[in-house]
Amino acid sequence: MSLVSFTKVRGASPNSTRQAILDSLDLIQFQFARNIRNVVIKANMCYYWGYSTGLTTDPKFVATLVDVIRDQVSPDVNISIVESDASAMKCKYAFKILGYEKMARHCKVALVNLSKDESERVEVVVGGQPFRFMLPRTIQNADLRVNVPKIKYMDYTKITCALKNIFGCNPYPKKFIYHRKLDEAIVALNKLMKFHLCIVDGIIASGAQPRRLGLVMASRDPVAIDAAAAKIAGVNARSIRHITLASREGIGNASFIPKGIAPEYFKKRYPRKRVTDKVMNLAYKLVQTVGLETRLGL
Amino acid sequence: MEGVATKKVRLGLIGLGYMGKIHLRHCLNLGSVKLVAVSDVSKKALDFAKKMGAKNTFTDYHQILKDSSIDAVIIALPNHLHTSCAEAVAEAGKDILVEKPLARNVKEGKEIVSIAKRNDVKLMVGYDMRFSPSFRSLKEKIQNGVLGDIQIAYGTNIGAGPFFHRAELSIPRPVPNWWFKKELTGGGAIMDLGCHIINLFRWYFGEVTSIKSYLGYRYDLEIEDHATCIAKFVSGSIGVINVGWFSQESQKKVELLGTVKHAIACRAPENRIFAGIRLLTTKSTQYESSYLRELHYFVHCIKHDLAPTPSGNDALKDLETISLAYKNGVSLK
Repeated sequence: MSLVSFTKVRGASPNSTRQAILDSLDLIQFQFARNIRNVVIKANMCYYWGYSTGLTTDPKFVATLVDVIRDQVSPDVNISIVESDASAMKCKYAFKILGYEKMARHCKVALVNLSKDESERVEVVVGGQPFRFMLPRTIQNADLRVNVPKIKYMDYTKITCALKNIFGCNPYPKKFIYHRKLDEAIVALNKLMKFHLCIVDGIIASGAQPRRLGLVMASRDPVAIDAAAAKIAGVNARSIRHITLASREGIGNASFIPKGIAPEYFKKRYPRKRVTDKVMNLAYKLVQTVGLETRLGL
Repeated sequence: MEGVATKKVRLGLIGLGYMGKIHLRHCLNLGSVKLVAVSDVSKKALDFAKKMGAKNTFTDYHQILKDSSIDAVIIALPNHLHTSCAEAVAEAGKDILVEKPLARNVKEGKEIVSIAKRNDVKLMVGYDMRFSPSFRSLKEKIQNGVLGDIQIAYGTNIGAGPFFHRAELSIPRPVPNWWFKKELTGGGAIMDLGCHIINLFRWYFGEVTSIKSYLGYRYDLEIEDHATCIAKFVSGSIGVINVGWFSQESQKKVELLGTVKHAIACRAPENRIFAGIRLLTTKSTQYESSYLRELHYFVHCIKHDLAPTPSGNDALKDLETISLAYKNGVSLK
C-alpha cells in the first residue's frame, strides 16, 4: 500500500500553502534528490477557466511549489511548467489567460507547450492493445517529474485526478480521438511517462460548484492518490476503470495508507454533484446519442 | 399573387459562428422568412447548416449576392470583416442586418453607413437587448414619467465573452484567433458587451455628453477584458456601465434610480433543462427570444418598407461613444 498525505492550507497567504506542501511531503517521507538538474511540473490547465472555478491548477500554488523545490534542491535548478494544446484550448492563450505567463516571469521558470516540443514516436501496450504516442523531449529529459492535478468530476471517467492529468502530456492536440478508449489511453500515457511525485491542488475544489476546501494531497503513487481523490469525491475507486486498469498494469496501488488529516474531513466538505447536474448530464448524453444536437442547432 | 402579409422575405446568412447559428435556427423556423442560402468559410459549419435544413451553402459569400431573389442578408461575421462584406451586400442591392458592433471603428462605421445610403438599402444593427420585453418596459417607464427623472443608471453586461460559458453545454468550444487581436476586434469588452448598454442608454437618455472608462486586464491580453465606464447624457442622467468577460454566469442587467421610483430589468440564462425543452418546442430559448423578435422586426420593416432601428447611424454614434471611452480610458493593468 502507498502513502497518501492529507493536509490543509490554513489561511490565504503563500506561507500557509508552503507549509501545507512541506507537511504533505514530510508525511509521505518524500525528499528531493540533491543532484536534480531539470524539473518538469505538469499543472492541470482546463480550457480558459481560471483557478477560481476549481478546474485549473492555481498558478500561485505552482509558484509556491517552485519555491519549495528551489529551496530543497538548488536555486539554479531548471524548472519547466508543461501543458499541451487540446481540441478547444491553445497553450499560447491558456498560459496567458490562466496567469501562468505572469507567474513564469516572476518565478523565472519556462513554460513549455508540449505540442510544439521536439518528440519521438513510441509504442506502449495496455491490456494487450498497442498505443502510439509522441514522447516530448522536455518530459524525457527531466530528472524529476511532478504532477500537480485537480480533483474533478468527469462524465466519461467519473472522477479525474493525477492519472488523467498526464493525458495532457500527450502532444497531439485533437485529444477527443482517444475518448472512445480514454481509460486505456490514460493508463498508456502513465506507463510511458512516469512521474515521481503527485501533489494535488485541492485548495479550491470543483464539483457541483467551486468550494474553498484547502486540501493538499501528496503521494509518490498516482494510482493511490487517485483512489484517495475518489474517496473524497464520494466515488468508489473500484468503479473507476482507469484506476483499476492502472493498478493491473503495475503503475501503482489502488490501496493507500492515509497520513495527516483524516480523508473523511474533506469528504464531508467536498461539493458533491447535485441530482439536477446528474439529470442534466444524462439528458445531454441522450441528446447526443439520438442526434438531437443538430436538430436543436447546438 | 402573394400579398405583403403572406409574402416570405428571402434571406441570405453570412457567417455561421456562435451568433450565425442562432440566426440560422431562427431563420429556418420563422414563418415569414425563406432562408435561401448560407455562407461560411468552414465546411464543417456548412454541413451543420445543411443538416439543420439550409438548402444552398457556399464557402464564398459573393455567391449569395449573385442570387437576385434574395431580399436581405444577415451579416454575422467577425468585426474586421463587417465593412468589406456590408459594402458588397449593399452594392448587390440587398438590405442588411449586421451583428453588433457595426464596425471596428468610427471610420469603418461611416463607410458602411454611407454605402448603405448610396445604394438605398436598409441597414439595421443587431442589438438584441432593444427587443427584450424587460428592457423595453424600462423605456416605457421613462417615457411615461413613472420613475421621475433618472439620475443614475447602472448597466451590467457580463459573461464569459469569447470563452466558452461553462453552464451552457458540456463541451468547450475553441476560441477563434481573431478574438485575441485588437486590430481585428477593434476593442475588448467595451466593444463586445459595452456597445449593448451604450446603445440602450442612448435610447433611454439621449446622446452622451462625456464618458470616461477604467480598463481591466485580468487575462493579460492586449484588449481589456473588463471595464467600468461612467457616462453623462443630455438628459442629465449619469450611467455607470460595467462589462466583463470574467464570469461563468452571464447577466444583462439595468437598474434605474429615479427621483420618484426605481426599476430593475434583468436577463440571465434560464435553467438548462427548461432551455432544452423550449428549444425542442419553440426552437428558441427564453434567452435567445429577443434575437427572434429582432429578426421578426427586421423582416417586418422589409415587408412594409420601413426604416429599421437601431439603424446604422445609431450604431455609428455608439462607435463614437466607444472611441471616446477608449480615448478617456484609464488602464488598470
